[in-house]
Amino acid sequence: MSDGAPKERVLSPHLQIWRFTPTMAASITHRATGMALYGGVTLIALWFIGLALAPQMAATLTGIFRSPIGVIVIIGFVWSLCFHLMNGLRHLYWDSGRGLDPKTATMTAWLIYGVSAVLASVILFFGYGSA
Amino acid sequence: MSKKGTSTFVVQRATGVILVPLAIWVLINLVSVLNADPSVALVWLTPASKSIVFGAFLAVGVWHMRIGMSEIIVDYLHGWLGDILRVLNWFLALALFGGIILSIYKISFAG
Ligand code: HEM
Repeated sequence: MSDGAPKERVLSPHLQIWRFTPTMAASITHRATGMALYGGVTLIALWFIGLALAPQMAATLTGIFRSPIGVIVIIGFVWSLCFHLMNGLRHLYWDSGRGLDPKTATMTAWLIYGVSAVLASVILFFGYGSA
Repeated sequence: MSKKGTSTFVVQRATGVILVPLAIWVLINLVSVLNADPSVALVWLTPASKSIVFGAFLAVGVWHMRIGMSEIIVDYLHGWLGDILRVLNWFLALALFGGIILSIYKISFAG
């Protein structure tokens, strides 16, 4: 090992042959929506706890949910949950050893972007419509 | 994956599966209940069937997201900062989990 040559490590070539694929995008989006849901679930849990134990906190959070920023947060949460739920099912399908060939994986990735957007729109339409 | 690879993997999948029906029910009701006056939301949540399902979504979600976030931290942060964040992640999950269970009791069972 110690022949005096600089210790260059062998790198995998992934940086050179990088190419966009919908499957990769879905994988990044799964992580991003997971983090967004982390924040959202924390907020909603605080609201729930507030209703039971801290009315002032619940009132403050309701005010935030109704504000323009709150509307954006709710839209983001609803779509994130739709996407993450469906892509989570895709993960579970993969865990069963199916759906892994690139063609199917690409197709299901597109499908989940499309269906989650439609589903979130419907939920938000009826949710705000009935408020 | 973290060091206890297999068990966190299984719990992550199991909580994900449990969350599917809970999340569907929550998605249907969430927007209107979050925008309701707190007193109205509280009345809506008072039947045990509602507070338990809503609370279960939050409690199981907290557990699932604790595991997921721990993995994200392990992926990107290796030093003491990662360790601290993972401890905070645990504390937040425990505090929320306990608060949610207590709230279900207060909302539907404490009279
Ligand atoms: C309560 C709402 C939810 C929250 C806060 C949440 C949060 C997270 C987070 C933070 C991660 C880590 C992401 C990563 O490692 O890239 C994750 C991963 C995962 N989630 Fe969720 N999630 C939720 C709902 C769901 C649902 C409904 C499913 C349905 C099956 C699901 C299935 C999964 C799976 C399978 C993974 C592991 C992905 C992997 O190994 O790369 N999650 N989630």
